[in-house]
Amino acid sequence: MIPLAYLLSILGMVLVPIVLAVILRRNYRVYWILFVVGTLTFIGSQVVHLPLNRWLVSIGLLPKTLQPDGASLWRTAVILGLSAGVCEELARAIGYALVKWARRFEDGIMLGLGHGGIEAMLFGGVLTASTISTLLNLGGVDLDTLNLSAAQLEILSLQRQLFSTSPLYAMAPFIERVLAISAQVTLSIIVLQAFKRNKMLFFLAAVGYHAMLDSVAVYIGISTNQLWTTWLALVILLLPAWLWLIRLWRARNSELALMGEKSPSPPPLGWSLRLFLANSRKEILYLWRTRRVLIVCAVFFLFGIISPLLTKFTPQLLGSLEGAEIFADLIPEMTVIDSLNSHIETVTQFGFIVVILVGMGAVAGEKERGTAGVVLSKPLSRSIFITSKFTSQVLLYLLGFVITCAAGYYYNIVLFGMLDLSIFLVINCLLLLWVLVFTSVTILGSTLGNSTGAAAGLALAGSLILIISGSIPNIGALLPSGLLAWCYQIAEGSLDFSSNWGSAALGLVILLLALVAALGVFERQELQ
Amino acid sequence: MSSHPSQEYAIHTQGLTRKYGEVEALVDLHLSVPYGSIFGYLGRNGAGKTTTIRLLTGLAQATSGRAWVAGHEISITDQPSKNKVGYLPQEPGLYPWMKGREFLIYIARLLSIPPREIQDQVDRALELTNLTPAAHRKIGGYSGGMKQRLSIAQAMLGNPSILILDEPTSSLDPAGRQELLDTLAAMRKQVTVFLSSHILADIERICDTIAVLHEGRLMLTSSREQLFSQYPVFAASLELEADFIAPQAFLDELGERPWVERVARRGQNITILAKDVPQGKTELLPMIVKHAIRIDKYEWIRPSLEEIFLKISK
Repeated sequence: MIPLAYLLSILGMVLVPIVLAVILRRNYRVYWILFVVGTLTFIGSQVVHLPLNRWLVSIGLLPKTLQPDGASLWRTAVILGLSAGVCEELARAIGYALVKWARRFEDGIMLGLGHGGIEAMLFGGVLTASTISTLLNLGGVDLDTLNLSAAQLEILSLQRQLFSTSPLYAMAPFIERVLAISAQVTLSIIVLQAFKRNKMLFFLAAVGYHAMLDSVAVYIGISTNQLWTTWLALVILLLPAWLWLIRLWRARNSELALMGEKSPSPPPLGWSLRLFLANSRKEILYLWRTRRVLIVCAVFFLFGIISPLLTKFTPQLLGSLEGAEIFADLIPEMTVIDSLNSHIETVTQFGFIVVILVGMGAVAGEKERGTAGVVLSKPLSRSIFITSKFTSQVLLYLLGFVITCAAGYYYNIVLFGMLDLSIFLVINCLLLLWVLVFTSVTILGSTLGNSTGAAAGLALAGSLILIISGSIPNIGALLPSGLLAWCYQIAEGSLDFSSNWGSAALGLVILLLALVAALGVFERQELQ
Repeated sequence: MSSHPSQEYAIHTQGLTRKYGEVEALVDLHLSVPYGSIFGYLGRNGAGKTTTIRLLTGLAQATSGRAWVAGHEISITDQPSKNKVGYLPQEPGLYPWMKGREFLIYIARLLSIPPREIQDQVDRALELTNLTPAAHRKIGGYSGGMKQRLSIAQAMLGNPSILILDEPTSSLDPAGRQELLDTLAAMRKQVTVFLSSHILADIERICDTIAVLHEGRLMLTSSREQLFSQYPVFAASLELEADFIAPQAFLDELGERPWVERVARRGQNITILAKDVPQGKTELLPMIVKHAIRIDKYEWIRPSLEEIFLKISK
């Protein structure tokens, strides 16, 4: 029950920013690119913020660990607040300077949602997922047997207590992130005023306000260790800003009314759904008519059978070669674990190439041929155009994995006599997620490129960056490569479905952000 | 209380501007296209015609200014009102792997045409563009003209109240061109047609309002009648009989008359540019009789749209 509650909380932290952005986009025609700009301002701010904090620790201005001890905690909280305020608001201001056309109230909300959204996804969703899976793995382990310091042991045993509390407690990180998102949106609007009214004072106010919110949160959080008190303090501090935002919103509405303009009503949901289905249908027909379905089915069928066949018969093949009999004796007896490991390798080595070949022309090809211009001059929106392409490819790979699972399971049973179906299914589900991450990266490459060739290059570059970054210490385990490590772990026989939630959560985040970036870029592109 | 111009006109733009870096593709375009008119949009290559059309169809984003089509402000974002507009691009953008009929059914679905009406409307569009025999063939196998006709069919699906056509006759054979022009002319008053073309004869033939764009700037907007009244009759044209040679005395006398500006000879044609047309009309025929000039044709002419266009966009 508690893991399920945490799963919901994690999904909430990853999906809520996107859902809010979708609502804003539908109702106020705000460009998706502002969400991307907000995301980039947060990432950019952290590139400076995190090393800055480490430097402050190295010169002794910040302690190595936060201790709930009076005066010095206040000083620490203020310094932490100021470093966050300066870095994040400066990055936000640079973001606004780059998008000179975005000066509406709703533009500010979208930029704030992107900034707070990625923070919620990474520091909320991914971090919680990673922590929870670590704690679940340590479920039956005696902590004293681990080589940990006293402080680490204390934190770990405190964290393990999470599982003996109410499932409602799992919602705590989610509530905290919702508060943080609302704070980020508020700060985004304040910085926007600096550009709209050409007054530096608003920027300084945003830095000060950010610093105050973070300082109070750190001080109360550490000194009382009570979540409710921290949240209450934050709500009290945010309340005046929220009231000010409501005033600004009303002023914006009056201004529009004076100009005789009104916000366009959003298209009916059913109507959007019908367009989505019509375009998805066309995309599936495209995949079918251009033989992509057949090719993917054939390739995934091969993925399913090749590993058990090669694993089983490699020693015999070697043994049958004249002069190579000696090597056959050196190869240990192959088992179903070897077959599964080989399956994971095969899918990952060729999977992303298949994804690029299938998806590289999805958007770029339509731009090249001029078909995108024709269909988008109809009521079809650019968002539906991109999402239906992604959906059709998801269905294609889902079909591919069903074939892989069926063929692979049958061949493993026939050749090795046994295979736990649940193990095989979980491995393939993780591999599907891995493939879908590359699918969304390919869609982004196809959107950025103006020709299919350029799109292929961009998709390949993006995919290689993702694969290579898997070897970065600390972060690498959370990237899609972490999913593969999890697959290998399961293949070894330890049916541990909680090994690396962090990599699954980050995989989902990368997938969503690549899609949002594709939408953002495509919405601003001029079509033939 | 008068309504906003965006509601009064089928197409209305206010200061529409599109820049590509330093290049000004379209500058401060103020345009109003009345409902039911056939509006000819003229300009040399690179004048900004296609840029205007891209902005009107939501395929490009204006650097500044605003545009309304069918009373709705055009935006690159969702636009349910787009089902009131049919658009034909310069190059037909079609899926080669689709069949002609399938493509039209797909477009009909995008236009939210009720399912029970889709077959009828698609059949009518295929018939109108003479594509019924090829309806079940893959578009990849169509000729250039067939692709253009299919593109016209998709633009006309859903009975749009506004048609935006970019060079619609460019890839059609003479018969196809004639048919399309007849179809468009028959739509007058029911459908607003915004027609960009290089073929001035087409514009002259069917358009009731004409706009000329030059280097991104609107040089002129006028009804066809007004435009020609601004450029009135200015010359007399004589076509001599095949073997007849005009006597030098006739030409010399013409050159001496005060109402004559210049006389030009080209084969059997003599064009007399007049400074004073009424005086010329009084004196020319008696002179022809006096010198016993044998003519097949005698007429007073006004400048063609081509000549007006070249003069404006010089």
